[in-house]
Amino acid sequence: MAIISLLDIAKRGLLAQETALGVVGQNISNVNTPGYTRQVTELESDPSTPTAGGVLVGTGVHVGAVEAVLDPILQQRLLRAQADTQHDAALHDRLAALATSLSDVSDPSLASAVNDFFDAADALARNPGGLAERESLLGKANLVASELNRRSSFVAGQQRDADDRYVNVVKQANADLGHLARLNASISAAEIGGQRANELRDQRQAVLSDLSGLLGTTAAENEDGSVTVSAANGAVLVAEGSVVHSVAVRAQGTGLDGASLHEIGLVDTAGAFIAVPGAFPGGEIGALATVRDGQLVTASGTLDTFAGALVGEVNRVQTNGGAGAIDLDGHSTASSPFFTGTDAKTIAVALTGANAARKIGAALSTQPGDNQNALAIAALRNAGGIAALGNIGFSSYLAQATAQVGEDAAQAGDAAAASQSLQNQLQTQRESISGVNLDEELSNLLRYQRAYQASAQVVNVANQILDDLLRLVP
Amino acid sequence: MTIARVSDSQTFSLLVDRTGQLQVEIRQLQEQVASGQKLLSPEDDPLAAAQATRVRASIASLTQHGDASDFGSQVLGAQDQALGDAENLLVRAEEIATQQASGLVSQSERDAAREEVHGLLQALTASGNTELAGRRIFAGLALDAPAPFADPDSAGYSPATAYDARYTQDFYVQTGSAASERVRVTTKGDQVFEPALQALSDLDAALAPGGDVKGTLAELKQGRDALAAERSSVGARQSQLTGRSTQLQALVVQEQKSLSAVNDVDLVSVIARLTQTQTALQATLAAGSQIARTSLVNLLQL
Repeated sequence: MAIISLLDIAKRGLLAQETALGVVGQNISNVNTPGYTRQVTELESDPSTPTAGGVLVGTGVHVGAVEAVLDPILQQRLLRAQADTQHDAALHDRLAALATSLSDVSDPSLASAVNDFFDAADALARNPGGLAERESLLGKANLVASELNRRSSFVAGQQRDADDRYVNVVKQANADLGHLARLNASISAAEIGGQRANELRDQRQAVLSDLSGLLGTTAAENEDGSVTVSAANGAVLVAEGSVVHSVAVRAQGTGLDGASLHEIGLVDTAGAFIAVPGAFPGGEIGALATVRDGQLVTASGTLDTFAGALVGEVNRVQTNGGAGAIDLDGHSTASSPFFTGTDAKTIAVALTGANAARKIGAALSTQPGDNQNALAIAALRNAGGIAALGNIGFSSYLAQATAQVGEDAAQAGDAAAASQSLQNQLQTQRESISGVNLDEELSNLLRYQRAYQASAQVVNVANQILDDLLRLVP
Repeated sequence: MTIARVSDSQTFSLLVDRTGQLQVEIRQLQEQVASGQKLLSPEDDPLAAAQATRVRASIASLTQHGDASDFGSQVLGAQDQALGDAENLLVRAEEIATQQASGLVSQSERDAAREEVHGLLQALTASGNTELAGRRIFAGLALDAPAPFADPDSAGYSPATAYDARYTQDFYVQTGSAASERVRVTTKGDQVFEPALQALSDLDAALAPGGDVKGTLAELKQGRDALAAERSSVGARQSQLTGRSTQLQALVVQEQKSLSAVNDVDLVSVIARLTQTQTALQATLAAGSQIARTSLVNLLQL
């Protein structure tokens, strides 16, 4: 073996250790980079060559590859978990807000406003001629109406908010689709030589995760390193370096506030909108659609049913079923209903003006002190079997509605906690495989540093041998 | 799940996540301590939330029935007082009639007795016109209404027509949820006072020269009996309302206990959990700090 060969071996060793040190440095500098996959240097010994004596001797070392340490199956599971987590969290956030705002567990609440209204009716029954009692009843009725109006407006606002977010999610998703197509192209180009574009792949994984969280999409890797992104119904969104179908929204249906709602669809290369019902049931967009078209509509319906029943029942008593009760001035109330409106949005007190309180039909006769009809209004509090409410009473209906929104939110909360827990587990698994451990990297740093020093020492030794040989030359 | 190695990111994420969870828990516990309620949203316990809504409605209803019972009891108490006064007037009238019926009294004594009887008639009329907080207790509890009984000194006065015919409405208070759980608290003044007024009016006339005083004794007794009978009825209804009020108060207390059970926080338990959670937070932070120091970076003094 020639002395010069020894220098070559030392040189290759220096270059290989230098590269390995560079990889360690890259890992250390990305220790806090979200989604970063640690890399390892694959060192391979160079092939042996025969010496003058015919003995095979190795020729050094080279870097075979710089590999990202990851589990592709785990990456896929993480994408699905991201879709579930974002879906369940969005659902829970919206339902929890709904449950809190429609809550009757603490004052002020609709239940307490209704109780106050009937309390005032009871007070009127004790003093049917009292103007103060009459004014109080009107005031409490106004509170009930405004609380129903407020809740109706809140639910409609929640639905509009969900629809606005729905539209924004589609915009974000389109940006992600374009980004993915570009990354696909870059990765395919970079990996033509057989090396892996680890950093680009990490970037793409982050975008895939974001998109999966938004739309619940799936991704499959191709041989050229690109990924094909698909919707739940199999429609391809991104293939290789192109966006095959972008996503878009169009007006579809009417919201509780009277304005249009939207539905997601695909856009083909010619720009035509393709409706794809059921293509995006997962991710945040699936949750938004579920809440917007499901629970919020149900909650609004519940409020409307309650308001309609209250209007109907109180007016029935106020007008004595159309036969007319008697107001404080002895007039018939047959054409003088207590409430106007038909639902939570439109309910209002019909008795207005300077003499409004006198128009309450507290009596069934013109005799002074008659409180029969005031008693009938107060008795509505405990009336069961109200047909419009499904044959139960007002307080039972509110209790049922409270339980329903609470149960929806609690179930969504449980689901969100479960999916978050699963994602955390998967993330822990991923980190245990792909995450950077500084202690490990520092050990590697020392290891490659020592190897580098040793290779340098080989150069030194080869140099000394050459010096010794050269001194033999006269 | 087996973890073979731990990344630095994982260590710090775990620390941040756990710290965040504990801080959220502490905030929730603080909210419970501050509000005294464990049920802050229907999501916390949907069934308990529904139960709380029902119980609150029940408490409101029971309280109103209690208020109605108390009000009725108050009205009947005032009626009892007025009827008792009226009975005493009739007793005094019977004494006068008995004295004047002997025939041994002079005309001047009869004139004096007549004047007293006329005063009794006015007093009885005033009893019939008794007001409670501006409401006529023998006239359907009408508010700010004119006196139902005419002044005995008014022209053309007659006990038979002294009562204003408009006041014939019975007034009930609702003491329970069922339609039948009502108690009448009014006493129709004409039915109760008219015999007594008539008797006093007749005695007044009989005390005039040549009048038959003796003949009014039976009528006075009838008038007194009518008052006593109504007083007895009033007493019975007042007793019923008093009993109902006591019962309703007990029911309200029971319902408040139920509400408290589902809604109110157990302070001892919550404060214990708060302390425990704060300790866990301190331990988590201390452990995080300790783990951060255990690194090759420190040991190699790089």
